[in-house]
Amino acid sequence: MTPGSTSAACAALLRRDLTLAWRRRGDIAMPVLYALIVATLFPFALGPEPALLARIAGGVVFVTVLLAVLLSLDNLFRADIEDGSMEQLMLAPQPLALLVGMKILAHWITSSLPLIVVAPLLAGMLKLPAPATPVLVFALVLATPLLSLLGAVLVALTAGSRRSGMLLALMLLPLCVPVVIFAAGAVAAAQEGLPWIAPIAWLGAGLAMAVVLAPLACAAALRIAMDT
Amino acid sequence: MDNSRHDRNNRRMTFAPEPAPLLEARALAFLRQDEPVFGPLDFALRAGEVALVEGDNGSGKTTLMRVLTGMLRPGEGEVRLDGAAFSLDTMAGAVVFLGHHLGLKLDLSARENLRVSVGLYGQREGTSADAALAEVGLAGFEDEPVRRLSAGQKKRAALARLLLLPARVWLLDEPYANLDREGIALVNRLLEGHAGRGGAALVTSHGAVSFAGGEPRRIRLHA
Repeated sequence: MTPGSTSAACAALLRRDLTLAWRRRGDIAMPVLYALIVATLFPFALGPEPALLARIAGGVVFVTVLLAVLLSLDNLFRADIEDGSMEQLMLAPQPLALLVGMKILAHWITSSLPLIVVAPLLAGMLKLPAPATPVLVFALVLATPLLSLLGAVLVALTAGSRRSGMLLALMLLPLCVPVVIFAAGAVAAAQEGLPWIAPIAWLGAGLAMAVVLAPLACAAALRIAMDT
Repeated sequence: MDNSRHDRNNRRMTFAPEPAPLLEARALAFLRQDEPVFGPLDFALRAGEVALVEGDNGSGKTTLMRVLTGMLRPGEGEVRLDGAAFSLDTMAGAVVFLGHHLGLKLDLSARENLRVSVGLYGQREGTSADAALAEVGLAGFEDEPVRRLSAGQKKRAALARLLLLPARVWLLDEPYANLDREGIALVNRLLEGHAGRGGAALVTSHGAVSFAGGEPRRIRLHA
């Protein structure tokens, strides 16, 4: 890889973001602990009745993961904008959309992947039947990058405003409704022994579209945010 | 407004067509809510030239720099780079910008920061990160997290980037801030080296700056 080529730029940026995340490993654990605690609250609030918990397990895991991803999204571009790294990315010879895509990928690896790893544990705590667990993980693998991509666009749009945390939640959560419906629908179908591939395919289609469009939208929004 | 401007270079009699200036501004102006921030401004920077943008606080020096990088759209006029119209999409990478925010990651070492920049922008031939860091006086601090460096050392780490990247146009916004006497001499040395290699640089400063090698061109902004 020659320095300055597109692949070298992507590799350098991915490596930078992963190194930064590794230097602050404590921050990676935070969304995981958050999801663990929220999922634990449900049996306390609803009572430890296995049939009831098994029925809501899929939905609870998805909503919990969604909220945990939302918490971690806020910082996606902020640090880069504040320390001037975003200016350096914008002036680099590579398309900004591609570089932003790399940042979203790094963010997904550091924040969503750990959540996917603990998801079977959460599902087990909530008595989700074992055969449905692989479907849950599969649905999360497709749904979490979709959430990251949708969230990234909104983070880029709110990058100019100071206290964007709550605004981000208000904007992102309605957009997540289809993702939650299809992901939880797949798990519910698997629990009842029905074919679950259709909702998963919808998630995949949404993801394919978001992978292409979201980085472009992000780049455009960041340009506007920096244009002040 | 200073209308005498810097036309002298354009009046030279030549038989061969002169190469296009590396960086050129034509009637460049920036408006914020219909209030002019600076301009209209005309200047041309040729290979081997360093120009100093002077102006008081609030006279639009930083805004001018951001317009020249393409991050801000000019209200009027145009920026040309190497004779072609300039925009972020077409010519990015030909310009390296050092602003108030240095673009360094505090949790990474100076060497790691440089590696990222080289990955993004490419590397000028015959340079190495360690040599660049030694040149700016950071030998021995290569692996120290930038967080632990002093403000002046951070600035020096950012200056090392200039040495490594292949860009021919340098836009330096207040490069002298936070630097000691030796650091100021270092910036001047870097600028002279860059001009000697056929690069061009635009430097802002609100204070008096003395170059060792002759007087630079001056572009005056008024508040």
